[in-house]
Amino acid sequence: MPIDDEPQFPGEGPAGPGTPDASPRLADKIRRLLTEQLYGILCTQGQGQPYGSMVAFAFSADLSFAVFATPIATRKYRLLSECHHVALVVDNRPQHADDMMKVEAVTATGRATEVAPSAEFNEYSRLLVGRHPQLESFVRASSCALFRIDVFRFFHVMRFQEVGQWVPIPR
Amino acid sequence: MGANTPLVLPLAEAAPLGERWVGGKAARLSELLAAGYRVPDGFCVTTRAYQQFVEDGGLKNGIDMEMERKAMSSMRWEEIWDAALRIRTDFLRTPVPSDISEPIIAAFRSLAAPSCAVRSSAVGEDSAARSYAGLHESIVGVTSENALLDAVRVVWASLWSDAALLYRRELGLDTGTSAMAVVVQELVAMDRSGVGFGRDPREPTEDRQVVEAVPGLCQDLVDGAVDPDRWLIRRSTGAIIDWHPGIRTGQSEDPLLDDGDVGLIHRTLNTIEATFGWPPDIEWTGRGTDFTLLQARPVTTGALGEEDDQRRWYLSLRPGKSKLEALCKRVAEDLIPELEAEGDRLAEESIEDLADAALADAIDTRAVIHARWKQIYWDEFIPFAHGVRQLGTYYNDVVKPDDPYEFVAILRHQPMLAADRNSALCQLAVYLESRPALLAQLRRLAADRSTFSSETWWSLRKSVAAADGGSRFLERLDQICRQHMDVAYHGEQLDQRPDLVLHTVVEMASIGVAAVAGSASAHATTPYEYERRLLAAVGPERHDEARSVIAIARLSWRLRDDDNVLLGRIEKQLLRAAKAAAERLERSQRLEAGARITTESAALLSAALRDGMGGRVILQDRGEPTRESSFTAAGETPRQIVGQPAAPGLVTARARGVRTTDDLKRFPAGEVLICDAIQPTMSHIVPLAAAIIERRGGMLIHGAIIARELGIPCVNGVSDAVLSIADDEIVTVDGYLGIVTIGPPEFDIETAASP
Repeated sequence: MPIDDEPQFPGEGPAGPGTPDASPRLADKIRRLLTEQLYGILCTQGQGQPYGSMVAFAFSADLSFAVFATPIATRKYRLLSECHHVALVVDNRPQHADDMMKVEAVTATGRATEVAPSAEFNEYSRLLVGRHPQLESFVRASSCALFRIDVFRFFHVMRFQEVGQWVPIPR
Repeated sequence: MGANTPLVLPLAEAAPLGERWVGGKAARLSELLAAGYRVPDGFCVTTRAYQQFVEDGGLKNGIDMEMERKAMSSMRWEEIWDAALRIRTDFLRTPVPSDISEPIIAAFRSLAAPSCAVRSSAVGEDSAARSYAGLHESIVGVTSENALLDAVRVVWASLWSDAALLYRRELGLDTGTSAMAVVVQELVAMDRSGVGFGRDPREPTEDRQVVEAVPGLCQDLVDGAVDPDRWLIRRSTGAIIDWHPGIRTGQSEDPLLDDGDVGLIHRTLNTIEATFGWPPDIEWTGRGTDFTLLQARPVTTGALGEEDDQRRWYLSLRPGKSKLEALCKRVAEDLIPELEAEGDRLAEESIEDLADAALADAIDTRAVIHARWKQIYWDEFIPFAHGVRQLGTYYNDVVKPDDPYEFVAILRHQPMLAADRNSALCQLAVYLESRPALLAQLRRLAADRSTFSSETWWSLRKSVAAADGGSRFLERLDQICRQHMDVAYHGEQLDQRPDLVLHTVVEMASIGVAAVAGSASAHATTPYEYERRLLAAVGPERHDEARSVIAIARLSWRLRDDDNVLLGRIEKQLLRAAKAAAERLERSQRLEAGARITTESAALLSAALRDGMGGRVILQDRGEPTRESSFTAAGETPRQIVGQPAAPGLVTARARGVRTTDDLKRFPAGEVLICDAIQPTMSHIVPLAAAIIERRGGMLIHGAIIARELGIPCVNGVSDAVLSIADDEIVTVDGYLGIVTIGPPEFDIETAASP
């Protein structure tokens, strides 16, 4: 048996003197960030060119999908019609460089599908408008399209370079 | 206040500014001056200077990185020390801007004494319910302006010392708000110094005061370098209740203070209490009319380190210079030779043919010996490891290197037992390389795991002996087992596992010994170049001091590796006796064949040998200790794990976990070694590794030092998540940044979901 010279320091946390490390599950960390933040960057691609645009989003309770809306005359709408594969980047970036270690970011990869008017449309638009009441008329406009992103997986980054991934619905 | 707060001000003006700006020590000294007490002349560098230095120097990010890189609750004590060293080195490498340095130097020039003391004055440290003395730095004997600016930076950095980080919750340490003021005072050198307590800290309700005195500077007492004379005084009358002389060699046995001196301290303690309303804890120097107060703060009943937790043990791991010197002498001259002799003696004892009762006695005796040396390991060997850390602090303070671990180069190429073993393995691999037919035969043999094991080896070796060069190879292999593998690892006697040694030698020979890490010097500079760098930085007047620090560090590092190997020999000898007993019990069918024998089962086995009733023996096999990965939930996997950049380099290769003794023989050259901790008893496989990932963290632990020595990228101090990495998974080890990336940057899930 190796000699154990590894004492743990009892404290508030599981074993230490410092900040309690509650170590929530990765899924909980992701859920917290997606709940705290209202906007993210939707990453699309087409014509050999990546593109990013800010969107207001809402996630389903199980985080298996997200919804957002966009006018159909936009570059992102055109790109989405060419390629369904998207990423959504959500973060809590601070305004001060000193806070770098506190930044968390989530990148969700997934497939975006336009939702045609239907019961489903009503359900998803309620989800989005529930988080963003100011978008109610925007979502219902004839020139606006509602998209659902089915999430393949989440990448979560914290402490500058610590990355974990979570597949909400294993495929 | 804020922007208008002075950066530097005389001590006499400190108290009115408020503790937030001048810290507890400066505020108390200022109050003592105002009350008419004699206090050395001096000035205070306010917390505003600290804040401005940290902001202008961009140091906050570095502190944040250390505090947040990993949950401190999961950091080992060595990692906490590492974090503090990096912060301290950052502070020392950051120039003090002229708008801060100029008023400090101007105030220094106004002092009359040629030498000064530079002390911490942390906010809130003296108003705490318990004493936090010893957390922060004090430097005495500062005589030059450059040395003063260095000392101020060291004191500033000590806000984030290892001990302070350990108590960060109690101190409320916060990178955004915490700050440190500094007191600079003329150094008053008297023939006597000491401390005094207005109430006995152990029993504050008793009518008792305590006075301690040492010859010379008070710092020697505070550092624990000199044993003090101690008086107990009746608080109400000043009558001396007891005097206990300190143990000091070459000193007179007379009390260091006469009754008049003790009476003066008693009266001072009482008047301070009457003036300020709290029973004081003072530091003083000089006698009679020279009596001078160096510090006063409220007596606290609980001292740092009295908690019943491991932090107290940690604080004992940082012996001061004189204690370290004494420990060095004891470890090098007494303990290691004794440990080595004990191992030799036990190895020579013939125990296999003893009668049952005598074998049981031998087991018990060995168990006692093993337990004793384990205790010595904890009490003396681990604290002695501080010799390496002492060099690190010393080197970085004066050299201010880019790399905070540059000093480790001074420790290279020490004659360690593990290095001797690795050298012997390399030589045998060279022999094998020159005999391709024999190498090919041994490769085939080692590759066939269905037939190759420690049990089959003894029959397989006949065919090896028949090959050209085979007999000589076996002779040398046996010699290595006897000389270098006479240790226990994970409860196995490695000298009984020639199959493990054979595997390592065959792997080395297969890739070519020239390609084995560390077989050629990977370093452009020698240890002596770094030693010269240090000597040049300290200047000729401190060469003896620097050489002493280097000598202790070299011995500390070498013996900290050797002690593990030598203790492994003692453990092996206990196992040997236990296994002799087990074989006997198996033959008489009292023990199930193949039961796992460990040092923990020794007591049961010896009791069974003495048991005349011949009952069955049931051993509790607790198996290998396991650690659970923090990524246990469904669908969650680590992608990138951050640890310490323990040895530079960037490698992508297959992962291979080493968790058991048998894993040593499954480790192929060129893969990434993943383990809980590299032990000196198994480090012979390290030269085969393309990179190392170690869960245990620390820049000065065995794995990190060996990796740096051999030029193998290493990341350690990673989370338990690393244990979820499967064998053959492709991992990237970034030893520059301390990042482990698991798997390739794939989009398999996304592309599989296409149309």
